[in-house]
Amino acid sequence: MRVVALYKWAPNPQDAQVDPDGIVDWRRAAEALSEYDPVAFELARSFADLTGAEVIGVTAGGSAASSSLARKTVLSRGIDRLVLVADDRLKTADSTTLAAVLAALIRRLGQVDLVLAGVSSVDVNEGQVSMTLAAHLGWIGLGGVRALEATDQGLRVERDVPGGSETLALAGGAVLTTVADAAVPRRAGMRDILAAAKKPVDLVELDDLDVPVAQVVVSRAATSRPDNARRQHVVVEASEPAAAAAQVISALRQRNVL
Amino acid sequence: MSVAIDTWIIVADDAAVGGLIEFGRLRAAKLVAVVAGRKSVADEVAAAGVDRVIWLGQPPEGTPVEAFAPEVARLVGEGLPRVVLGPDTTAGRALLGAVAVRCGGPVFTRVSALDLEGDRVVLTRSLFSGIAECRESVDGGPAILALPSGGQVSATGTPTPVEQVEARPMTIALVVDRRSDEGVAVDLPSAPVVVGVGRGLKTKADLTLIEELATALGAEVGCSRPLAEGVDWMPKDRYIGISGQHISPRLYMAVGISGQLQHMFGVRDAEVIVAVNSDADAPIFSECDYGLVGDLYRIVPALVAALTAVR
Repeated sequence: MRVVALYKWAPNPQDAQVDPDGIVDWRRAAEALSEYDPVAFELARSFADLTGAEVIGVTAGGSAASSSLARKTVLSRGIDRLVLVADDRLKTADSTTLAAVLAALIRRLGQVDLVLAGVSSVDVNEGQVSMTLAAHLGWIGLGGVRALEATDQGLRVERDVPGGSETLALAGGAVLTTVADAAVPRRAGMRDILAAAKKPVDLVELDDLDVPVAQVVVSRAATSRPDNARRQHVVVEASEPAAAAAQVISALRQRNVL
Repeated sequence: MSVAIDTWIIVADDAAVGGLIEFGRLRAAKLVAVVAGRKSVADEVAAAGVDRVIWLGQPPEGTPVEAFAPEVARLVGEGLPRVVLGPDTTAGRALLGAVAVRCGGPVFTRVSALDLEGDRVVLTRSLFSGIAECRESVDGGPAILALPSGGQVSATGTPTPVEQVEARPMTIALVVDRRSDEGVAVDLPSAPVVVGVGRGLKTKADLTLIEELATALGAEVGCSRPLAEGVDWMPKDRYIGISGQHISPRLYMAVGISGQLQHMFGVRDAEVIVAVNSDADAPIFSECDYGLVGDLYRIVPALVAALTAVR
């Protein structure tokens, strides 16, 4: 069996600078493995250890996705090999285009049984790419996944749904996104990092992939920085809690929010 | 001139799409609902003031709603509306993702406004967890939007007839067992006052302190992500943030929450934000109306005392 673990090498918007015109400067935001991805890695690894499956890390991102640091970070966390596109043209690609590139990469792998992914990436944080990928592949996309196991008939999946949980039997290709606490990700040790350097990496050129051209044309007319000025910003050092608390409660009553 | 755009709403076996209908009705010449899931859901949506309901038929036993994605995409592809709205849940994204592939365009999220300028659909949305916003025009196909579904629908007069169409869901996945959570579901987005608690709290037992404050305020209790997904002190439906609940209360009181971007996105629509934190440099103090810098274990009891004191 072959399991694909999707990931994204991305910066945290918390560390970005935004100018008053809404232009985002990412220079101070270091790219890293998106925080939810190691959970999917761990679920894929423990499934593979029980079934003898191979776990292939797949990503489509900017050129930094192919850096030595990025490769080692991923390959030291239970991934057997990497297949990726690292092209700066993808830095601004929308979810449907990114999903199309990922689908093309996965098709190149031949037989793949399952795709696992974290719930969303740290930068865009939409949770859309994996679900759109399912559509590109003609597979089913399912979220909220907590556990999976192989059975005689196929796969058994446990997932959270609104108001409860359910068990599904899978008999075909699926893209599954995991809940954040589905597994505790391993910490990479020195041996893992050394072993990572020897694992295969297939860096694919974007132009070598068959990616459909978008029909919908999106033109950006303007950007802006959200207005934070409407907040009052009355911050006090509460060395005397009773007095400070009374002052705030009084202000809230005057504003009629209490 | 009023803005009028043919709008389709995708319903993923959950009739709580009041927000989508409201968003669509503001601009739509004609509002069409495509319902994947149970007949009862289609009936409820049909009574909620849409012009047309297309129902994909009773799902075979155990069929997850995501299995209807290709059929939903086919119907939208044939109908070619200018705007498609769907819920920003994982099931909603699975259906919208299929629509996006069929129509060859992206799914937009966190959209705050949609207008018609001349013949163009123009939308305003926030980027990268809300650090920036942009306006974009969409041509050549539908603008596909994943939005907060926004609660229960209310019946408005005579229901529109439910049109059933032939649809074959994928048979890849079958639900073989379902379990319901114990306890009462909380509706944080509708709560007028919310207290949020974060990692500043030292132990789970100290949640009683937060509950006392919530009682004094008449508030619901929510939390930042680590408390729901890290230490499991709080149920997941109480987690507030970009990938959790988005709330818009009259008053939000954040206790022991540093104010990471991903949390603040979930509370940006609160009318008033009060923050209690021991770290004067915590980012939340630059995004609040009133901030109290100090030990929450001293400040929270003082707030409770101030709230319950005879005026």
